Amino acid sequence: MTSSPQLVLAMLADARLPTGSHAHSAGLEPAVMAGLSDQGRRLDEIPAFARSRLRTVTATEAGTAVVTRHQWLAGGSLSGVEDAWAARTPSAAVRAATRQLGRGYLRLAYGLWPEEMAAAFERGAVPPRPLVLGVIGAVTGLSSRQVAQLVGYDDVQTTASAALKLVPLDPIEAMRWVLQLHPDIDAMADDVERLTEPAEIPASGAPLLDEHAERHAVTTRRLFSA
Amino acid sequence: MPETPARSFRLGVAGPVGTGKSSLIALLCRELSGELSMGVITNDIYTDEDAQFLRSAGVLDIERIRAVETGACPHTAIRDDVTPNLIAVEDLERDFAPLDIVIVESGGDNLTATFSPALVDAQIFVLDVAGGGDVARKGGPGIARADLLVVNKTDLGPYVDVDVARMIAEAGDAREGGPVLGLSKHDPVSIAALVDWVRQMTTTVAGGGHVPIDPGPMAPHSHLDSHGEPFTHTHPDEHEPGHAN
Repeated sequence: MTSSPQLVLAMLADARLPTGSHAHSAGLEPAVMAGLSDQGRRLDEIPAFARSRLRTVTATEAGTAVVTRHQWLAGGSLSGVEDAWAARTPSAAVRAATRQLGRGYLRLAYGLWPEEMAAAFERGAVPPRPLVLGVIGAVTGLSSRQVAQLVGYDDVQTTASAALKLVPLDPIEAMRWVLQLHPDIDAMADDVERLTEPAEIPASGAPLLDEHAERHAVTTRRLFSA
Repeated sequence: MPETPARSFRLGVAGPVGTGKSSLIALLCRELSGELSMGVITNDIYTDEDAQFLRSAGVLDIERIRAVETGACPHTAIRDDVTPNLIAVEDLERDFAPLDIVIVESGGDNLTATFSPALVDAQIFVLDVAGGGDVARKGGPGIARADLLVVNKTDLGPYVDVDVARMIAEAGDAREGGPVLGLSKHDPVSIAALVDWVRQMTTTVAGGGHVPIDPGPMAPHSHLDSHGEPFTHTHPDEHEPGHAN
């Protein structure tokens, strides 16, 4: 089956994609619970939060997806990529959430590209989402830049959509944030699209976001899983 | 799929908030866990209180009760993106193989939320008399076409001015004869009837004798015709011409 990479990209970036990601907020709910936006009184902190993620944790995730795509096309092993991602993702809560999302994407991908996915991941594997996205990108003909843009766009869109449930906000304003962050998504993609080796994956962590994530994992009242 | 342990009978329990879904599931665990290997998935909206309630009820090994988070979208989690629920069901089937039945409790939602046939083999829709005697008559996909409609808390009828017999009769009309069960935790006969229905459905599904029915998004509903008389119809497809009347 041949499919258009542009349409695959649109499909993967669609919020209606059945992967269970509607239960995630890209770290926004943990940050809002810790005081980000002062309960909606300083809304501009939310797009700033998304921009900070693009420069730190999201660059790591996008770099991981890009390197996964390259390694898979080159016939290499993905275990080194997974180790590099884990080493750059110190929060156990963030790793757990990313693996949870990975299972959702893998479940969908097994249904759509069964042979390719079975070759990439062992039975019962729980890979982090960027590994699954990297392999999907490889088997559907996405460019490394498209893979990086997908990860960046998804993070920004997840943040904006979660904001609609967490703070008082006009949906058009939320989409304006996404639009205005396009240059930041592209800048992140510029930085990671040529990466090929696990050692090159950005290690620009965000310790405060990690702390929020750890706290969120043990709270008893939350709308979003992470 | 990479993991294919024995498949259980997957039973959904849906219905509005507070109608007694968790209590009904606790009742089923208490009555059936001695004869069936069971698992339970809860879908909470804001907490994992439903899972905690069931664990604290002591009716099933707490490891067999798992909570799925729905990201404030309980209807999405059972209908258009069942991924987290299917993963939880498959994990239970793997960890406790072979399971006879996994009960999936929806997050309390509105009258139109029903399970996708991709997630469950059969579903129970739960109403209660305290929610109002007219709810069953108003209908909705779950009320009209779930495999079983339970009208719960029948013992409360006198306290909330609901004629229980009439509510159950109207539910039967809305379902065009589909099964309706009045249930009260103080009425052993009603409990036995519920347990029997689940027991028989478990056997039927295990034997391959049941095809999942999708209650669908749109229930039969009524309009007034040109003489001011109500008539009931369904929408067989989206392109039906306008409501002629």
